Amino acid sequence: MQTIPIVTATADMVLAKDVKRSDNPDGPPLCGKGVVLTSSLINRLENMGIKTVTVEGHPVWIEGDVTIEQQLAALERRFKKVANLPLMQSLMEMYRLQILRSMGEADGR
Amino acid sequence: MDDKRTQVRNIIKDTKSLPTLPGIITKLNELSANSKSTIQEMARLVSSDQVLSARILRLVNSPSYGFYRVSTISNAMILLGIDVVKSLCLSSSIFELMETTALGLWEHSLGAGVAANIISHKLKIPESEEISTAALLHDIGKVIIKIKFQEEHEQLLEIIRKREISSREAERELLGTDHAEVGGWLAKSWFLPDKLLEPIAFHHEVHKSETHQTKTAVVHLADVLIKASGFGFSGEEFVPRIQPAAWKKLNMNVQLLEEIVTELEEKLIEVKNFSLDIQASHVQ
Repeated sequence: MQTIPIVTATADMVLAKDVKRSDNPDGPPLCGKGVVLTSSLINRLENMGIKTVTVEGHPVWIEGDVTIEQQLAALERRFKKVANLPLMQSLMEMYRLQILRSMGEADGR
Repeated sequence: MDDKRTQVRNIIKDTKSLPTLPGIITKLNELSANSKSTIQEMARLVSSDQVLSARILRLVNSPSYGFYRVSTISNAMILLGIDVVKSLCLSSSIFELMETTALGLWEHSLGAGVAANIISHKLKIPESEEISTAALLHDIGKVIIKIKFQEEHEQLLEIIRKREISSREAERELLGTDHAEVGGWLAKSWFLPDKLLEPIAFHHEVHKSETHQTKTAVVHLADVLIKASGFGFSGEEFVPRIQPAAWKKLNMNVQLLEEIVTELEEKLIEVKNFSLDIQASHVQ
């Protein structure tokens, strides 16, 4: 799944997560997971102040986006100095799963 | 080397050499010290400076606080508290500089603000607005070093890159002090409250924070997470370890950390949009 700015959402994308109001994240969802977006629905969500939506796959490539391999290599490099610490290893693993998920790869869990 | 440290310290003490401090601050201090003054009076004072108000509202509406559409200074004062708005008045000029001269650091700071907000809500730590503000400001020492010691700043970047050491190590070597200490001096010379000063001064040495160790621990963790996620650029590439003192103080566990990371990564998309919006507004 990929979380994208709502301005880049287009019809036929499928919501991978419920859309909730940012000022009331614990409230009822405005739109449920699995819903196929239409342009009027996107407009309505935009008007309600929604800034981002999470959709299935990785449909949007934004300038500067890098491939999954590049992201994973950069992650490993960032953790180079602390790779021997168990807690930091777990943290790196969390970010590895985040990258995989954001790129639409199989859900890591 | 100590000479250099004294030199840095003197520059901070001499507030005249720093980016302009809004004159409104003095008046605001007077007003807030007087128990009879109202929020409305203080808000009116800040609102009389349009540029300052615009800067503050922009920060208040940044994803770091999780409020949306705060449109007036008096609302900001009610939502964030007078101390926070006052600190934003003080730091807005430096923040503005950061926005235009060190975009990566600006994004790193915004991201840290968001992370701190998520952590304090998740762990139900009170005064989350103060914590977010401290996180927004935690690297303010880096901005001062960059503007006041341009030559050394270039060398710092070179050393950090070549020898793969942390910015603190490089700063200590070259300046005899580091950005956390410099930020602490600045906070002191601005009379920022200790709850903001300590997280700024000790975000790399949580155990040294005496009265606000929980807040310092949150800012430290926020800094580590933002570095881990690779969002923005703090000036160094490597993720530091989560300090055991912070982990203990916050009563953290891996499960909680995972929930925080997941929430943060979602929120960062919004921060990126916010940052792009601001950059676009500079171009116009």
